[in-house]
Amino acid sequence: MNSFANRFSTNTTQLHSPEEDNFSDATWGSQAGFGNIAMGVPTFSIPDVADPTSFLQLHTDDHADPNCRIKIQHGTTTLAFRFQGGVIVAVDSRATAGSYVASGTVKKVIEINPYLLGTMAGGAADCQYWETYLGMHCRLHELRNRERISVSAASKYLSNLVYSYKGMGLSMGTMICGWDKTGPAVFYVDSDGTRLKGDLFSVGSGSTFAYGVLDQGYRWDLTDAEAQELGRRSIYAAGHRDAFSGNSCNLYHVKEDGWHFIGNYDISKLHYDGPGDVPGAPEGGYGYDIRVEGLSSANPPEAAASA
Amino acid sequence: METSFAITGKGYVIVAADTTSARSIVKMKIDEDKIKTLSPHLLMAYSGEPGDTVQFAEYVERNIRLYQIRNLYPLRPSAAASWIRRALAESLRSRKPYSVNLLLGGYDTASHDPHLYWIDYLGTMTEVPFAAHGYGSYFALSLLDRYHNPEATIEEGLATLKRCIDEVAKRLVVSPGKYKVKIVDQDGIREVEL
Amino acid sequence: MTQRPQQHSFNPYTENGGTILAIAGADFSVIAGDTRQSEGYSIQTRYAPKVFRLTDKAVLAVNGFAADGNMFVKKVRQRLEWYRHAHSKDMPIRAIARLIQTMLYARRFFPYYVYNILGGIEEDGTGAVYSFDPVGSYEREACRAAGAAQSLMQPFLDNQIYFKNQTPAPGTSFPQHLPLNTVLSLVIDSFTGATERHIEVGDSLEMYVVLARESPSIQALQNIVGIQERTSTADGERIFVIRRDLKKD
Repeated sequence: MNSFANRFSTNTTQLHSPEEDNFSDATWGSQAGFGNIAMGVPTFSIPDVADPTSFLQLHTDDHADPNCRIKIQHGTTTLAFRFQGGVIVAVDSRATAGSYVASGTVKKVIEINPYLLGTMAGGAADCQYWETYLGMHCRLHELRNRERISVSAASKYLSNLVYSYKGMGLSMGTMICGWDKTGPAVFYVDSDGTRLKGDLFSVGSGSTFAYGVLDQGYRWDLTDAEAQELGRRSIYAAGHRDAFSGNSCNLYHVKEDGWHFIGNYDISKLHYDGPGDVPGAPEGGYGYDIRVEGLSSANPPEAAASA
Repeated sequence: METSFAITGKGYVIVAADTTSARSIVKMKIDEDKIKTLSPHLLMAYSGEPGDTVQFAEYVERNIRLYQIRNLYPLRPSAAASWIRRALAESLRSRKPYSVNLLLGGYDTASHDPHLYWIDYLGTMTEVPFAAHGYGSYFALSLLDRYHNPEATIEEGLATLKRCIDEVAKRLVVSPGKYKVKIVDQDGIREVEL
Repeated sequence: MTQRPQQHSFNPYTENGGTILAIAGADFSVIAGDTRQSEGYSIQTRYAPKVFRLTDKAVLAVNGFAADGNMFVKKVRQRLEWYRHAHSKDMPIRAIARLIQTMLYARRFFPYYVYNILGGIEEDGTGAVYSFDPVGSYEREACRAAGAAQSLMQPFLDNQIYFKNQTPAPGTSFPQHLPLNTVLSLVIDSFTGATERHIEVGDSLEMYVVLARESPSIQALQNIVGIQERTSTADGERIFVIRRDLKKD
């Protein structure tokens, strides 16, 4: 009852902290966990060492040292682009720990609320946790202001949040996508504190391969079917060329009435058979060998050919 | 950064290499030709360690020429590729190896088909329908998976090459300025302006 | 004598081996782990449980650094007890999953070196498995192996549970969910196999089975020797534990 008492005491001192060993009264009720959000940004246990950041890096940074114990997910391809018909968001589903495929069914699109999506690249927990947290603040914004938060404001909230942890070892590269009063919107936010408004982004180890296909096929006036096909085809390209990406593609389309889940596509199936009966998709597989089967670069002269 | 591409099509190989020669952060030259003509139907784009590149390319050039003088006929592309790969592999196991990456494009006048070989400084070789070296490959390979056509005409092939060059220009931070583009087909070798 | 600052590297972690595994069925969930605890090439104990009953419908398996794991289970249980006092009911498993995420993430900058797998019964009566990374990212899955032998067990389970790289015989299809007796056999085979090929796995196997309310899967448990019931309340979900020996070399 400390917080209750504090509310009526003249000399208020902050007694509660949502940090693990110092529970607020909220912990007793249904608000356990995220419930104490209203009391401000959560606090975290920090090791009692001179340099907590290098402590964390020593134990978690598997880029520098493959033998380190705590593996954090890396390797991903995510993309999002704005076009005439809304926003397309497409991601792969592979999680790797070193060269081991830890999971092939990761949900890298985080459904913040019915009209906001976030993508996941970098630390899986960082993205999942902070984007869920962002979703709660978006709801609070609605309750306080009687209107939905803009994509710009939501992404700025996230950007400021992760920027306050700069240098502590958070790792996230995310696109916040949605539809607000200004129309379709995509913002790139990362843990360095970068926040960019734009039409087209791709993030992760496979992003260059996705860009290769995406840029060449992108136009503002793409139809819905063409845009969905482009997103799917670009993730396939990255899954095919980047060893750290693959397994399957999750495709979302954000329209004026919020986001729609279009489908989950197995990358191997896309390679051999294509996406199946889907508007905008070509017949047959995306794979190069499948696409060019029977074609030949040989150029024999007429006489030789008939002989 | 150095980037090179090569694409096969109906009866031809297009080889393109950027024309910058850089030292540290400085562009020393912007019109360097990094594609050598090894024989009437054989082209080689080279990139890698400055110094090694030209030395190795000239060494290859002279030996391929020597073969032609001695035997009165040139090596076919597959044989030339094997010889060059072997030269690199032996160099790798010497005291001072050449660090040179190659794209070898040739037209086989006997079988009337184009051949393209991707070779790296370790002596890895593979025959491919399209290839790239350098940072450009991270953008171009997925693009070529999507757009390459083995039966494309030269015009179509050049259009696909243009896509690669444009994509690299658009996305690569340190993208090269100009490219030299050469074609080898049954008529021999010629340079084209994009 | 002059005092000088001393550099001293702080390493509060070790790796205690072992492997855990959980598989969800239509109306049941099996959560298993071996009981060997080791450090380097030395076996510390042959019986250190890694699988813990949380409530009548939730079981938590922890693997990695044993001290962190035990502490973490203790803290989760404390939070669940508080919840029980406040609400006079057990916390639903999806809420436990979210609780575990926030508890792990609270230690984002000083992580628990623990891989968690939570298994049990969802409020709608379906079997559930949630798997976590050490800092709290989680996902609901049908089956998950973690720990020392995960790379030996997961491919086997992918093949036998998700039927990966198998094609059904003409005119047939693969089942969505496997029956409990099949799942138990797969779990035992996974662990005997891992024991053969991984030095950190062995000694004995503990399998927790969580059954949904009035689940017909109870039939499969009828003739199992040495099975113990761990249910605490009547007419709810039921929990059983089955123990089996693994090789001890």
